[in-house]
Amino acid sequence: MGGLLSYFKSLFGSREMRILILGLDGAGKTTILYRQVSPEILVGEVVTTIPTIGFNVEQVTYKNLKFQVWDLGGQTSIRPYWRCYYSNTDAVIYVVDSADRDRIGISKQELVSMLEEEELRGAVLVVLANKQDLSGAMSVAEVHQALGLDALRARTFQIFKTSATKGEGLDTAMEWLANALTNKK
Amino acid sequence: MNSMKRDKKDEEEGGGGGLFSSLDKTTVLQEARLFNETPVNPRKCTQILTKILYLLMQGEELGTREATDTFFAMTKLFQSKDIVLRRMVYLGIKELSTVAEDVIIVTSSLTKDMTGKEDLYRAAAIRALCSITDSSMLQSIERYMKQAIVDKSPSVSSAGLVSSLHLMASSGEIIRRWVNEAQEAANSDNMLVQYHAIGLLYAVRKTDRLAVIKLVSKYTSLAVRSPFATCMLIRIACRLMEDDPDNDSTYQDFLESCLRHKSEMVIYEAAHAIVNLKRTGARELSPAVSVLQLFCSSPKATLRFAAVRTLNKVAMRQPTAVTACNLDLENLISDSNRSVATLAITTLLKTGAESSIDRLMKQIASFVSEISDEFKVVVVQAIRALCVKFPRKHGVLMTFLSSLLREEGGLDYKAAIADTLITIIEENPEAKETGLAHLCEFIEDCEHTALAVRILHLLGKEGPRTNKPSRYIRFIYNRVILENACVRAAAVSALARFGALVDELTTNILVLLCRCEMDSDDEVRDRAAYYRCILENQDRSLSSHFILNEFQEGEGEPREGMLMTEKKPSAVTKTRQETLAQQLLNIPALAALPLGQLFKSSMPTDLTESETEYVVQCIKHVFPQHVVLQFECRNTLPDQLLENVRISLEIPAGFELVSEIPCPRLEYNTPGNVYSCIRLPDDPQLAMEGTFEATMKFVVKDCDPNTGLPDSDYGYDDEYIVRNDPEVYFLFPLRFLEYFWFYLQLEEVEVATGDFLVKVIEGDFQSAWDGLGEENQVTETFELPYKSLEEAVTKIVKFLSLHPSERSDRVQAGKTTHTLYLSVASLRFLLTSFL
Repeated sequence: MGGLLSYFKSLFGSREMRILILGLDGAGKTTILYRQVSPEILVGEVVTTIPTIGFNVEQVTYKNLKFQVWDLGGQTSIRPYWRCYYSNTDAVIYVVDSADRDRIGISKQELVSMLEEEELRGAVLVVLANKQDLSGAMSVAEVHQALGLDALRARTFQIFKTSATKGEGLDTAMEWLANALTNKK
Repeated sequence: MNSMKRDKKDEEEGGGGGLFSSLDKTTVLQEARLFNETPVNPRKCTQILTKILYLLMQGEELGTREATDTFFAMTKLFQSKDIVLRRMVYLGIKELSTVAEDVIIVTSSLTKDMTGKEDLYRAAAIRALCSITDSSMLQSIERYMKQAIVDKSPSVSSAGLVSSLHLMASSGEIIRRWVNEAQEAANSDNMLVQYHAIGLLYAVRKTDRLAVIKLVSKYTSLAVRSPFATCMLIRIACRLMEDDPDNDSTYQDFLESCLRHKSEMVIYEAAHAIVNLKRTGARELSPAVSVLQLFCSSPKATLRFAAVRTLNKVAMRQPTAVTACNLDLENLISDSNRSVATLAITTLLKTGAESSIDRLMKQIASFVSEISDEFKVVVVQAIRALCVKFPRKHGVLMTFLSSLLREEGGLDYKAAIADTLITIIEENPEAKETGLAHLCEFIEDCEHTALAVRILHLLGKEGPRTNKPSRYIRFIYNRVILENACVRAAAVSALARFGALVDELTTNILVLLCRCEMDSDDEVRDRAAYYRCILENQDRSLSSHFILNEFQEGEGEPREGMLMTEKKPSAVTKTRQETLAQQLLNIPALAALPLGQLFKSSMPTDLTESETEYVVQCIKHVFPQHVVLQFECRNTLPDQLLENVRISLEIPAGFELVSEIPCPRLEYNTPGNVYSCIRLPDDPQLAMEGTFEATMKFVVKDCDPNTGLPDSDYGYDDEYIVRNDPEVYFLFPLRFLEYFWFYLQLEEVEVATGDFLVKVIEGDFQSAWDGLGEENQVTETFELPYKSLEEAVTKIVKFLSLHPSERSDRVQAGKTTHTLYLSVASLRFLLTSFL
């Protein structure tokens, strides 16, 4: 009986996965969201956004999996509200501006305090070292180091290098995430 | 199958209103947690939102914490694509935006909806967005708002315009930058968009008169398509006309052209505007009235109602203009709509002939019980006008009014009736006795203290002069036995008046007053004892002074407080006079002068604008031979110290400057006084009026705002020289940078006739006037530049600063002559003026 039910569930695409995109302001969260919403945007074509005051929420379908993606604003004034949207979250995409060496420390603090949240205990983490196209950007290893990801225990996570404006690296990250979420179930 | 059945049942319950009948705030907020669940259940969430909105509409208040929690839960619903739910969310945001905190969290989502493809979202999203936006956030969405205003979808454009209008109050500066977009929207073909756009343009320019004039002339010449916009233009034009009565007739032409408009709404608005304009004369009125006449026979009840109501107003001021509509109004008496019928009858009463009154009164009586208080007041007012017009009909009218008084009704209604009766009594001596009898009957059973007190006062005033004063005593004394303290006190005062004026009743009154002294209330006892004391003295002048005069003074004041009559206004003025006299005596230089007794001190007049750096006020103290001008100066600059402040006056011929006392030091916010003593002309033939040109001279020193100590010994230069007096150049080199004298031109000080007159309260004007005799009377005719009698009366009273006697300052509208009694102390003359 149970097997039959899960079969139907997978056939109808089960329930939507809930994903949060977080990160400091100007990291590229909104751009990443709209890249995924409309994959028809050509690689290399530039997406323009304005600072998000509040949030954007969209439905994204990737390989027959439905995601409900919440892109929360990264400005200092809005970060305190992130926690209002933590519950029932399956995965967090944490976006880092690799070229912003000054604020990588702040970025780390936000990440650490977020991961301490009880509601996010089971959430899969994807870190995107974004803006790799900029000269002087930190490498994946540097970002890994700076965020203190070595210290992470008991969390499914992976770090990728991306360039959201150019659309590079996002596909790989999404594929890993889709797999991780399917396996987790 | 099962679930479908249940759904159906749910819906039935919801439809019956049972769903909302017993809602509890806590339960509903508990239910709102459902918003946090994924996936969202649109149907359930919509229902919960409806409940929340319902509660808010019922006046239920959410705490900040509750509201914020609900608000954030609500933001989760943005993930649903359900259109109905989304629109409910907008409503929820608007309602909670004022209570919840951090509502800006939905800014991005709303901005997206407002610029998105879904037209159903856009207008509502704009409205919600503007409700959560403050002026600091507004700049970030300014671009989208501008786009919305010029959007080709009318609903979006309207929403943008109306939201901007709402935001005007908080961030007018930003909205002003959107004028170009609003102007573009004003050319829209859509009626509402045009209306809203012109509304916004007007709101932006409201404070700039010239800009408003331009706006009106632009759109009146353009032939605006929207009737709403035209109505608004009519209103703005009227406002412009009222503000500036001398302007040309362009607006008048516009109004008249609107009378020929296609839309009934515009026609009515124009007619209504013309009727309500103060300057409208008979010529302008006639086209408006004929339009309204047409409306009277319209099949639409609203039009009939509007027309009759407006005609009713016209009839109050210019009954002749409405006479032409009499036939149409007669037809409306039988209108199925009671409000229309009432207004029609009352209008007819105002315009009709004396012969038709009996018939009309009968018709009113047939349905007066069916109409609301508000309309009853209209009827009463009509009757009041009738009584003035046809004094001979007072019998019928008063009987009708007294029958109305006996019926149930609110205070306003009863007060209107009593007012009318009182007017009739005052106007028409024949009606006095019957009127008083009706009022006596009314106070026997009156639940309104204020009214009872008024009527008792009137009885005290009018009763003693009737043929049989004794008959009122019983009614008044009944009040002393039966009513509350307020009414009892008024009754005692009324009794005392009878005692003072009617000799044969005095002994009886004394007995009654004696009994009143056993009253449980202090005020009643005090009054009774006071009056008894005076009456027992049998001294006519004493009683006329303390019973009758005091009576007149008390009138017109609200008699709520029991202590009212004890605090005589004259006593208050005396203390002010005394303190001022004392103040003057304390100044050695003035005390040394042979001034004599202070006769009168005027109220302070401003010699500068009240918001200037240095403020000067002038009080005139009048002595038998002198006028002392007291200039009260105030320095409002914290970093300045004024020294040696003088007021130099240009003395007109006949007057003589006796002495001047400068103010040595004027610190910040501490008033200082400069006095000038002027001797009045000796020749009594010479008018005692004079105009003194005043200039304030002073030295400015910079000082530390905190300590008030001057920074240096030197005064400094400043741009405050108002008058380019040659003296400035002389003083400058003479004093070698030591001082700079400054000159500040002040308003002129006028000493006028009014300053030499003191108002006295003359209880019985007629006897005082007659007592003066023929030889003391002088008659002169003046031509006064006033347009209306009311204006003339108020101006004369103010100019002479006198006290109107016998309430003669009230002018009956529509009369062409009026007698004003004024009493004066200075030269001991009484003044009657016929206007």
